[in-house]
Amino acid sequence: MRRFFVLLRKELKEMLTWQTLVPILVIMVIYSFLGRVINQEQKKQAAPQPVTVVDLDRSQTSQMLAGILTKANFKVTTYTEGVVDDIVRKVALEKGSAVLVIPQGFEAGIQAQHPQKVQTYTILRSFSLLGMEGTFKLDAALNAMNEYVGDMYIRTGAPGLDPAIVKHAISAESFVTVGTTSAEGDPQEIVTVVMQQTMVIPIVLFLVIIMAAQMIAASIAGEKENKTLETLLSTPVGRGALVTAKMMASGIVALVSAAAYMVGMKSYMGSLIGSSSGTSGTTAQAIQKLGLVLNLRGYVLLGLSVFAGIMVALSIAVILGAFAEDLKRVQIIIMPLMMVVLLPYLITMFIDINTASPVLKWLIYAIPFSHPFLAAQFIFAHNFTMVIAGIVYQFVLFFVLATVAARIFSTDRILTMKLNTTRRGSGLGGWTLQREGTSFRIRRK
Amino acid sequence: MEKGEYRCDDMQGGFQHGKALVVDNLKKSYGRFEALHGISFEVAPGEIFALIGPNGAGKTTALRIVATILQPTSGTARVYGMDVQKDAARIREIISYLPEEAGAYKNLTGLGYLSFMAELFASDAGVQREYVQRASDITGLGERLRDKIGTYSKGMTRKLLLSRAVMTRPKLAIIDEPTSGLDVVAAIDIRQSIRKTTAEGMAVLLSSHNMLEIEYLSDRVAIIDRGTIHDVGTPQGLKDKYGKANLEEVFVQVVKQ
Repeated sequence: MRRFFVLLRKELKEMLTWQTLVPILVIMVIYSFLGRVINQEQKKQAAPQPVTVVDLDRSQTSQMLAGILTKANFKVTTYTEGVVDDIVRKVALEKGSAVLVIPQGFEAGIQAQHPQKVQTYTILRSFSLLGMEGTFKLDAALNAMNEYVGDMYIRTGAPGLDPAIVKHAISAESFVTVGTTSAEGDPQEIVTVVMQQTMVIPIVLFLVIIMAAQMIAASIAGEKENKTLETLLSTPVGRGALVTAKMMASGIVALVSAAAYMVGMKSYMGSLIGSSSGTSGTTAQAIQKLGLVLNLRGYVLLGLSVFAGIMVALSIAVILGAFAEDLKRVQIIIMPLMMVVLLPYLITMFIDINTASPVLKWLIYAIPFSHPFLAAQFIFAHNFTMVIAGIVYQFVLFFVLATVAARIFSTDRILTMKLNTTRRGSGLGGWTLQREGTSFRIRRK
Repeated sequence: MEKGEYRCDDMQGGFQHGKALVVDNLKKSYGRFEALHGISFEVAPGEIFALIGPNGAGKTTALRIVATILQPTSGTARVYGMDVQKDAARIREIISYLPEEAGAYKNLTGLGYLSFMAELFASDAGVQREYVQRASDITGLGERLRDKIGTYSKGMTRKLLLSRAVMTRPKLAIIDEPTSGLDVVAAIDIRQSIRKTTAEGMAVLLSSHNMLEIEYLSDRVAIIDRGTIHDVGTPQGLKDKYGKANLEEVFVQVVKQ
């Protein structure tokens, strides 16, 4: 046991260098920076948007409309004369973003009961998602104007009639049901909020699995290349201790980086969540009532699933690392593992596991890394059997793979097996160590 | 140098067997390829024994089997009477192995590396300190031991690793190509270090394709080529036997036969 800790300390010293820490810190800083920038952008959006109204009608109705715009959180500047093109150009130069033109004869047209047109000019400067939000609000303003005009007609045409019965005779009270509980709320909104709770997990998990796997495979390949592995194998250190020390060290480094990513991502994601209209009171209540919040049990299950996923990845990486002759080959050799992790990540993002075809479904279940990605979904759906089955499956797989890894380390295969079959022996004696292994041979042995 | 000079030393270790290493009809195959065709030799305590032969002769395979990191296909190798397969764990306590052109952990300092390796062997902190102290003295690297190994030259790294290999006073040190890739000055330095440390009674099994180095360093040599040992003897004895001026010529003569 003492020797295990000696090894673990050495592995940590080797892995926790500035070369590994700096990229993690950089990503962390970049994401929290991004989060802050987006937050500022949103504050800008929340501030009253400037809009220029060119009121060529100069009537009571047109003035009223400008008033509605002010109520809809626009900062209105009004022109009552001038050439429209010139005004638009001027507004564009002054960094304005929208112009609304109310043509001459607008009020007269309305009073004659003819539908009227206004012109809107949207000045595009940025093509980002947030930059576009100003135009959507202009639509909302137009809606508000229509409501007002419509109400006006209904009131004058049929006094005593509630305009609502004409325009929205039927409206829905929507309820959402999860398991046996129902609550009032907008399904779209609830799904969005719930998803955002766990949105960070797959991304971080993916990064961590890849990073940990790469680190351990590189560590083994590096020791093979440097022949420090041969030295270690000839010392009184148990083979199991050697493998577990490596796994634990890269596990620890992976968790440290996961924490760093989480901190960075949280700020980033937090800002994204803030951008979507915000959670209304009913939605928050519905989420509580439906149990769509991760409680202690949820977190424990999710944590276990993630932990098991990392362990499986590490044990696969140990085996792959044993195949790599040198550091250069690690990248190539780790590729299949990256694919296997990426696949469930993408699939669970775009496909609903519940409606997938049985073949696809079982294929997804067979990939151990699907389970941490799916765990949150299952927990929210109160399908705990699936979560626990996934965790058990992952741990069983881990023990099988860890046994294989330990077996490799306790025989001379750790030194003799490699995937390279091209460089067959040359040289004086007629053979070199390159000759000894093809994967084909190893399997037959 | 007479073998008898060292005989008393191995008794101090409490080992009843007279031989530091007995290799008997050792064979090793990689797949269909047989790298060792049944080699046999013995090493006495305190003796420096060398396998000499070209690249690919089977030297490294033989050394790795003795170092318990490869398993023989057939035959036996016994270190102080212990079998390399059955008693591997016990053998690892009393041997040290230095692979050819080995490196060390580049992110550790020289001292950190010695301390790490010493801790794997030492029973307590006092013994560990003693090992590190001995190794530091042998390296002659002084203050450079506090620098990261990544900054060392090849010669310095080799010196560090050699010191590591002998700091635990192993009963048998297995050293593969002690000076390959080193310049003349560094090579001489390494050879002298090996000579000095064996004066304390350690048996050494080494390999080399540098016959002149072997002539200086070894008490006895085995000439190995294509997995077979062709002859064993003292450098002087072999030169006399074949009537040649140096081991290089002896080697060519033996292999031709």
